[in-house]
Amino acid sequence: MATFLRAAATLLVALLVALICPPVPARAQVDQCAPPGVQSASALPTNLAVAAQGNGTDKYTTAGVQPLSSIRTETLGLRTPGVLTVGTLSDAPPSICIDSAGQFTGFDNELLRAIAAKLGLKINFVGTDFSGLLAQVAARRFDVGSSSITTTDARRHTVGFTNGYDFGYFSLVVPTGSSITGFSALKPGQRIGVVQGTVQEAYVIDTLHLEPVKFPDYNTVYANVKTRQIDAWVAPSQQAQGAVGPNDPARIVENTFSLDNFVAYAVAKENRPLIDALNSGLDAVIADGTWSRLYSQWVPRALPPGWKPGSKAAPLPQLPDFAAIAAARGPSSSGGAAPKSTLAQLKDTFLDWDLYRRAIPVLLTTGLPNTLILTLCASVIGLIIGMCLAVAGISASRWLRWPARVYTDIFRGLPEVVIILLVGLGIGPVVGSLTGNSPYPLGIAALGLMAGAYIGEILRSGIQSVESGQLEASRALGFSYPSSMRLVVIPQGIRRVLPALVNQFISLLKASSLVYFLGLIASQRELFQVGRDLNAQTGNLSPLVAAGLFYLALTVPLTHLVNYIDRRLSHGKPAVELEVTQ
Amino acid sequence: MTSVSLAATGIELSFGTQAVLRGVDLDVPAATTTAIIGPSGSGKSTFLRTLNRLYEPDRGDILLDGRSVLDDNPDQLRQRIGMVFQQFNLFPHRSVLDNVMLGPRKLKGLSVDAARELALTQLDRVGLRNKAGARPGTLSGGQQQRVAIARALAMAPQVMLFDEATSALDPELVKGILALITELGEGGMTMVVVTHEMGFARSAADSVVFMDRGVVVEAGPPAQMFEAANTDRLRQFLAQVL
Repeated sequence: MATFLRAAATLLVALLVALICPPVPARAQVDQCAPPGVQSASALPTNLAVAAQGNGTDKYTTAGVQPLSSIRTETLGLRTPGVLTVGTLSDAPPSICIDSAGQFTGFDNELLRAIAAKLGLKINFVGTDFSGLLAQVAARRFDVGSSSITTTDARRHTVGFTNGYDFGYFSLVVPTGSSITGFSALKPGQRIGVVQGTVQEAYVIDTLHLEPVKFPDYNTVYANVKTRQIDAWVAPSQQAQGAVGPNDPARIVENTFSLDNFVAYAVAKENRPLIDALNSGLDAVIADGTWSRLYSQWVPRALPPGWKPGSKAAPLPQLPDFAAIAAARGPSSSGGAAPKSTLAQLKDTFLDWDLYRRAIPVLLTTGLPNTLILTLCASVIGLIIGMCLAVAGISASRWLRWPARVYTDIFRGLPEVVIILLVGLGIGPVVGSLTGNSPYPLGIAALGLMAGAYIGEILRSGIQSVESGQLEASRALGFSYPSSMRLVVIPQGIRRVLPALVNQFISLLKASSLVYFLGLIASQRELFQVGRDLNAQTGNLSPLVAAGLFYLALTVPLTHLVNYIDRRLSHGKPAVELEVTQ
Repeated sequence: MTSVSLAATGIELSFGTQAVLRGVDLDVPAATTTAIIGPSGSGKSTFLRTLNRLYEPDRGDILLDGRSVLDDNPDQLRQRIGMVFQQFNLFPHRSVLDNVMLGPRKLKGLSVDAARELALTQLDRVGLRNKAGARPGTLSGGQQQRVAIARALAMAPQVMLFDEATSALDPELVKGILALITELGEGGMTMVVVTHEMGFARSAADSVVFMDRGVVVEAGPPAQMFEAANTDRLRQFLAQVL
């Protein structure tokens, strides 16, 4: 009780402090996932570094494309006939992101929507993590990967690519006042942030020969720049321009690009028909002006000399004069605002009430139910598997003991993420027809398989702690071994380990957030993913804090339930007058 | 209830390389009580557990009413042989009444009402009807052992085995349990009682068996065993415990 009061008091104080602080001045809520519009256009960067030299010849862009009319959608090898299933990310505006209505959008996704329409296909977006995206495309978990993917030779080993629809600059982002002025100023010993698995990571390692600090997503790395935890961020230009706001304590100091490595959609290597079809669709949306319209809306930048989207036969897109628009707008206001104090910066980042108000309804209606469903279903599976493992584990037969031992060792020995990826990507395709290709049941299965190993050990220790006299007395009455276990030994064993089981449930509740690795559609997102998406949309950590509060609201009462059970087990419950159960 | 006789011939049992029973014979005529005495580690309790096949003997035979039971289903055999333990071994997660009802309900298929009626009758017999709703953990040792006896009797066994049923009890509680066991014997139950209570063996048993190191050293009526022991080993043992 004392701990509970203390925790409550702490929370109260924190709330008071937050309330007393003057409210954040109402500022325009920046939805990073809305199209910035043509007015935000930028000219070709003036501080463009010498392009990283590749072999100089583009050997991948096709000379021409098949006519749209010759494409038959039933030959495209789609997972669901007539529907293009797309793996995408939620956190890289303006190229790919999830908007405030929970729709996956951004330039890449809107363009793909237009291409799909040309091909007469429906489109279904599924959010996933970049580190697993290409593998998931290769495993045909998705028909297409859309994530502003720069085509590199290394990636072409895993997947095939369409023709390019965008190009990538790299930008160098540094905290305001940094002495780093360009890529050439980067030195060993500096903390240079990149997102894991991106071309920027490869660029830092292979071209600059430096050791980068790797982050899971763009928001995390940018948050680290703003708080000066790292010295520089090598970013895709779209993301850098989307993220770095005029009042942020960070600047873009230099850009660079490579013509060989255009941005394209990823498709399973062997699915040539789909690649050809998408290429045809791309040329079609370039020809009818859709590409130019979307490009101007979402990512208006002057095209680098010598590059155009689509096949070599595609027409040159008609674009407004971005350089002129940029010039007319005048010099950017960046750097003009006085830098905020660290404390104000922190408050903005963690305590944006507006965002709490936006996050909580979604957390409540989408995140909470999904987290509970994932956790409860996985717990049931875990309990069933765990019970089997426990009974097998204490069996006299080595043919039961051994497999139980091996199972437990494997599933307890692997990190949770690895299990979820192995089950989701390894077993997913095999049972695709059963699960309807939804990763949701696979996530539950993975969590359940993992929980089973832990629960099995908990139950086994509980069962083994029951005195041998109990089994002997039950057998002496005439009960068989299975009946004795069921009626006498196991119920006592479970009672003794109830606190440990509740703790396991809490771990499972937290582990359920890892299911996002498998790719979830918007309505399947659990608490963490909802918070993360809103965080990605706004670059603000408040939604994650809100998600965290939901987790606490679930886990803190459970922790106290454990303490209560513990006390009751040690003191016994009050005597009941006449209790007859069957 | 008709009483049956119980006999064991040439029982041998080893745990690994250690021979615990080395050819034990026992003959308990119907409706009589045999007390087994002997030092700790002599194999008394182990031998008792071979009689209801909690341990399967390596060699030898068990006869109930003159018929070998080694080929019977052991679970069904045990329903005919009640057993009471030194540590009571009541099921702590069930009420006293549930402890007694469990066997009749699940093994004999009695209805809940019939099983409850039977259980309450048995609890009455051991004087604990008023504790039916209590958890075993809240009872004294003596009360727990009475419940354990009621639990065994509820299965209407033909033979009762007692394994040092009073050894874990406080001295003042021993008498009551022994009286209950004696009463049971006088009612015509065939019983085997492993005990350290020499007074009980002498007054209540029809015959006494002295075991040591896995064999029966001497057996006979109590008067002869306690007054005129034939072997030095028994005389020595009695000198130590009396």
